[in-house]
Amino acid sequence: MSALGGAKPAGGSTGIAPIPAIISLVIFVIIFALMYRLGTPLAMTALIGIVIGGLLIGFGVHFVPVGGAPAAMGQAPGIATGVAMLAAGGGLAGLFGGAWAASQGTLVAVVTGAIGGGLMLAITCFFVNFVYIYGMGIPAASGKVKKDPITGDTQPEYKSQGTEGHGLPFVSFVGGVIGGLLGGAGGTLIYLMLLDVYQATLPGVMKATAVQIAPVAVSLAGMFAIGIFLVIAVLAAYNITGTIEGPHDPKFKRFPRALIASAVASALCGVAAILLVMV
Amino acid sequence: MDNIVFSIGITALAGALAAVAGAAENVESDIGSQGDPNSQVQLAPQMGYIHRIYNKAIAGEPPAWGLWIALGAGIAWAFMAMQINPILAIVLGAGLATFVQGVYSTTAYLGRTASLSKFGQPVYIDIIKSMTTVTMAHAFVAIFATVTLCHLMNAALGHPFPLPLLGLVWGIALGAAGSATGNPYYGKERQYQTQNFGAGVPISASGNIVRYAEAGERNSLDNGFFTAKLGGAAAGVCFGLIVFLELWRTVLFEKIGAGWGAIIVGVIIILVFTVIDRFIEVWARKNYGPYTKPEETSS
Amino acid sequence: MSVKIEVIEGGIPHQKILIAGLVLAVIGLYLSYLNVIVGTQIFAFFGGLAAIAALIWGSHTIKILASYGIGTGVPSAGMIAFGSGVIAFLFATKFGLYAPIVAIILAAVIGAILGYLANEVLAMHIPVMIKSLTEMAVVGALTLMGFSAMISGSFTFSALTTGSTKVLGMSLPSYQTSYIGGALIATVFLLGAIAIQHGFNACLGPGWKQDRMLMLTAECGFLSMMVAAVMSAALISPAAAILSFIIGLLGWYYTYMKYIELSKRDAAAWLDMKPIPEVEGH
Repeated sequence: MSALGGAKPAGGSTGIAPIPAIISLVIFVIIFALMYRLGTPLAMTALIGIVIGGLLIGFGVHFVPVGGAPAAMGQAPGIATGVAMLAAGGGLAGLFGGAWAASQGTLVAVVTGAIGGGLMLAITCFFVNFVYIYGMGIPAASGKVKKDPITGDTQPEYKSQGTEGHGLPFVSFVGGVIGGLLGGAGGTLIYLMLLDVYQATLPGVMKATAVQIAPVAVSLAGMFAIGIFLVIAVLAAYNITGTIEGPHDPKFKRFPRALIASAVASALCGVAAILLVMV
Repeated sequence: MDNIVFSIGITALAGALAAVAGAAENVESDIGSQGDPNSQVQLAPQMGYIHRIYNKAIAGEPPAWGLWIALGAGIAWAFMAMQINPILAIVLGAGLATFVQGVYSTTAYLGRTASLSKFGQPVYIDIIKSMTTVTMAHAFVAIFATVTLCHLMNAALGHPFPLPLLGLVWGIALGAAGSATGNPYYGKERQYQTQNFGAGVPISASGNIVRYAEAGERNSLDNGFFTAKLGGAAAGVCFGLIVFLELWRTVLFEKIGAGWGAIIVGVIIILVFTVIDRFIEVWARKNYGPYTKPEETSS
Repeated sequence: MSVKIEVIEGGIPHQKILIAGLVLAVIGLYLSYLNVIVGTQIFAFFGGLAAIAALIWGSHTIKILASYGIGTGVPSAGMIAFGSGVIAFLFATKFGLYAPIVAIILAAVIGAILGYLANEVLAMHIPVMIKSLTEMAVVGALTLMGFSAMISGSFTFSALTTGSTKVLGMSLPSYQTSYIGGALIATVFLLGAIAIQHGFNACLGPGWKQDRMLMLTAECGFLSMMVAAVMSAALISPAAAILSFIIGLLGWYYTYMKYIELSKRDAAAWLDMKPIPEVEGH
């Protein structure tokens, strides 16, 4: 239900057109009503979990500092690659860890997934700075803020001539780690919710024992989780038009509308994934 | 106890394979000029700088590597399902995936270059012949190493995901880590070698990439020589550490505290990297100092 | 820093490509269903051909969408197409004979809602966004269904989740050695997601030509079909797998040669071992 809580304050803040937000909310409610009519309580819980996972992913993408093509020339701060795919790299590495820990309970698995994603992005972000500093002799500087909000380091004088900044200032590094944590947790949560549903229902659907269907349940849940992850990551990337410096970037303030989109998109995909084994 | 020792051995092996894969991936993408730095190779002819650099625009590195690894893993899985020895199956899978990579590379170069005809950029057939084969060789190393480590995770460490799904996950992670680490080094340090060291490339210089070598004209193999020395190694260590630490913390500490042991170790590792990152950031600020803002025009 | 992409008029209109792609894909999928009716696996290759038809349509849709500059690059469009397509496809497999129709409808609904979210909620305001994402979700679902039918012989849920292993000469049902149980779908997912975007991503630029791009997409499709045929050998009869492979190989060779010819036609010059031209021609 935190999905509704997440969408509400969004309605009032700037940058959100009210009518599309209301229509999205209606679609969202219809999906839940459909689930309530057709599904079991287990399915309902799963759908709520999937929506929470989707919100975590959509929010997490906004933290990942990605500079796109200009970052590869030291013309803009951030990591030089695509935001959706970098988030996917971290999130899926988290999903790997989370799926491994699935037998130890939802909470442990989700936290393990979060740490897996955070670890992947922490190492990656560190090596980005390593290459900038020891490979190219360039200190980190942000182009969007005067002072690093965490360390208070001044930024503009470390920005080289004719560029918008380069490297990953500390706030971007922290943003990357947070993005990995959220992405890993979200991906793992979606996976676990679907796995629960499939493990409970597939033996009946396929007339086989739980052990026999285990590979099918794992693959289906994994594939759906990856599909939902990519859909939400791309939508969130659209929201920030492909690049962002991290949580201090003015574009970060656009996240409420991405939360609305993530909630609806994950509910939509989740309901199809759950109804595959029901009805 | 034996089990743990065995698992740690597998973890170390997987980490080593990942390091090889990361390095090969980065050199492959730099020789092929894939990913974000390729925007400059694409831009140069439009600014009047005709060049002899490969232009292998397949996709971003993460999705492209996701495909190569998942394909290698999928074919290896299929051969294993046909009761073929895993090592042979992985070699065959990596070989076929490399073939697909090579075909995609040639079509990407031809397509991008032909679409630049308006600016007079010719298609160089010798580039396709000499560079595609080199990228394929690196791709084979990276695909073989990554599919092998995925197989180890599945078969030796007991991860529930089937091989192709692991291939997708680690392929995307490999591309993400390799491109994040290696791209700036190739993009700034190599393509814009003539620009000031220790500073970003001014936006006004965009497209003016280095096109001539010590002798003759630069081609992408020269870029491979250069980037292998730091970018490739860094990407290798980066991906190696990601795989190794992820497996290590799970294998060694998963049993402690019902799973919380691995989590706490993970948090500690993240904090260690945060501290090191902060240290080098401050180190750079202190040692390199601020850029003097006025005057000094570089182009 | 990417190239300014211009909308180029001329060539086959999009509407025609859309209809041809959709109709051919559905026909191909139903021809692959002959497998179930006749009780053989030899018609599996029709699934691959259906997927290629859908991919060609999809690459043209991507071209139209990307002409507006979506800010995140062309490949992400392929990812969202297949991310939504895989969900519609898997859901539809439970409807047996009606699976292709259900997949098209559900993918269209998912795609339309995602397009609406992107366009209105995320305020992208791209005129073709909703239509393009709808088309691409359908393309994603049809492509996955086509390759799945090709690899496992049929597109029904039970066929996709049940395989057989030979133990001591006896054939036992196995869920692990199946299309979904072995997660071959992950490989097919990326084969399609790269193939759909490669045509446009590789041919973009001021000299973009429609026939060259579509030929390249067909080439990617046949290439994917070849490797999919190799994987299908694990799940269907060797004869069917070999037939799919040969058709893929012939189609790939033809389209690859044709594509090289078209590139030669469009290139500024076709040089071998020549230096950078002295006089820059622009």
